[in-house]
Formats: sequence, structure tokens, C-alpha cells
Amino acid sequence: MDEKNEELYLRSLDGRIGDTEGAQLSAAKETDSRLQIRMDQFVKVRAMLLRQGEDSFGPFFAERIINRIKSVKKEIDYQVFFFFKKYQMAAIGVVVALLVLNIIYADRLTIKSVLGFEEEQIDNIVTIDLYQDLTK
Amino acid sequence: MAEQSDEMLVDSSRAGDLGAFKRLVLRHEGKVAGVVRSMLGSTPEAEDVGQEVFIRFYEALNKFRGDSSVGTYLTRIAINLSLNEIKRRKRRFSFFGSEEEGSRAPAHEDQRDLKEMLSYEFGRLDPDFRAVATLRLVEGYSTEETASLLGIPLGTVLSRLARGQKKLRMALEKHLK
Repeated sequence: MDEKNEELYLRSLDGRIGDTEGAQLSAAKETDSRLQIRMDQFVKVRAMLLRQGEDSFGPFFAERIINRIKSVKKEIDYQVFFFFKKYQMAAIGVVVALLVLNIIYADRLTIKSVLGFEEEQIDNIVTIDLYQDLTK
Repeated sequence: MAEQSDEMLVDSSRAGDLGAFKRLVLRHEGKVAGVVRSMLGSTPEAEDVGQEVFIRFYEALNKFRGDSSVGTYLTRIAINLSLNEIKRRKRRFSFFGSEEEGSRAPAHEDQRDLKEMLSYEFGRLDPDFRAVATLRLVEGYSTEETASLLGIPLGTVLSRLARGQKKLRMALEKHLK
């Protein structure tokens, strides 16, 4: 019976108990001195556990957090930089190879040949005959 | 200047304002410290877990929709990370073959005052009971809020609370004798 009333009391502290159960508990309190002692002990335990005032992790806790965030950010930036650096190097390699191929293909070293523009052959240049007969 | 609300500080933090995030840390450090210390005791790992709580929150800022308050959100992270730390501790201690709580026990029982004794006994509670007791008895959340924070039914909260409190009461009785 003791156990049941104890349960009932705890439930009254943390939940809700019905009117009948409330009356049962009140009656038990009147007659059972042991229950009364236990109830006082529960109240004492709860009062001692309840947090009094603000807790803290000590001075400069917020600063340590911010520094950690900053260092994580730096680390990410660094990783992103190196991730793309690999591809940058590969891209530069491809471009240089293409430029070299252009020079080999054109067989001459001019800006146009390096950039891969086709140079006009001298035979294909259309000349205007300045001496053509305009009277015709 | 009027004090900025948590929501405003979250918005500024999202936009990259670390000063705003620092203000959030300062505002909620006490609550997080209370929860973590209650779960783990005043151990060196407690601050590491505390830092991790805020780092996780920072990383999740874009996902934070404000359905619950910042304090409640941080409390949930703090409880989960503390439970993870307890599991990790158990694995570590079982690997090295020593008792987890043994190291926390004061050398002479009679030298302990009531509060220390209770704190020691609290640390010996099963972690699931401790989580419920931390939220309800230490932090003062309602039983409904506790159930919601831990994602467990109200009945489970009530039964864990009752069992935890009985153990603590018995320890108190033993100490007083």
C-alpha cells in the first residue's frame, strides 16, 4: 500500500491525479507517518536538484566557440582552394598542350598560329587589279 | 538600444554575423551548461560537449525554422550529445575494464555533504532516467515538454521520473541515517 501511495504522490508532483486518487492520497497522508516522511524527502530531493541560478562553462567560452567556427571556416576555405587547385593545374596543362599542338600544326610561331587561327595563304588572297580597264 | 530577440540574432548569424552568434552563445550558455553538467557531471568532457552543442547549432542554422525556441533546440542537442558521450564513456571504460562512476565517487563518504551525495547519486542513474530527471527536475521543464524534447511518450517520462526519484530518495534516506 505504501508503494502505491508513493507512486500516487509522485504522479501528483509530475502529472495530474484524479479527485478520487487525490482524496485517497490525503487520507493516507493523515494516517501514514512513514509516507509523510518519504514525501518530505521527495520534496527535499527535488528542491536540491532544481538548478539555482545560471551555470557556466567558465570565462571566454563564447570566444572559444567563435574561434573554433573561424578555424573550421578557414579549414574549409583551404580545402576548397586545394580541391580546385588540382583542377586548375590540369586545366592549365591542357591549355598549354593545345597551344603547343597549334604551333606544331601551323609550323610557324606567330600569335595567330599559337591561338589556332588559320592564317590566310598568300595564294588565296584576292588581289585587286589596279590596272584593270575601267573603261570596259 | 533594445535587446535583439533570438530570432533576429539567428537571422544575423545566418547572414554571417559572428558577433550575433556570439551573443546567442552568451545568452544560452547557462542553460546548455546546466543540462550538460547535470548529465555528465563537472568533467573535462562537459565543456567539449558544450562547445559541440553550439557548433552543431551553428552548422544547422539554415535548417532551424524556429518551430521551437532557440533554448529548447539547444537543450535537445545538449541532451542528445550528452547521451552519446555517456555511451562513448561506457565503451571506453568497459574496454579498459574500470567502472565509469567509480572515478566520480568521493574518497570518504562521510566527508560528502548532502548536495554532493545527491549529485553523485544523480550521476549513477541510468542515462535515460538522468535525461528525464535533468529536463524535469533540474531544468524545470513540464512533463509534456520533457516528453516532447526526448521524443518519448508521457507515460515513459512519468515512470522514469518516479523510478529515478525513488532511487535518489533512498540514497538520501541512507545518507541521513
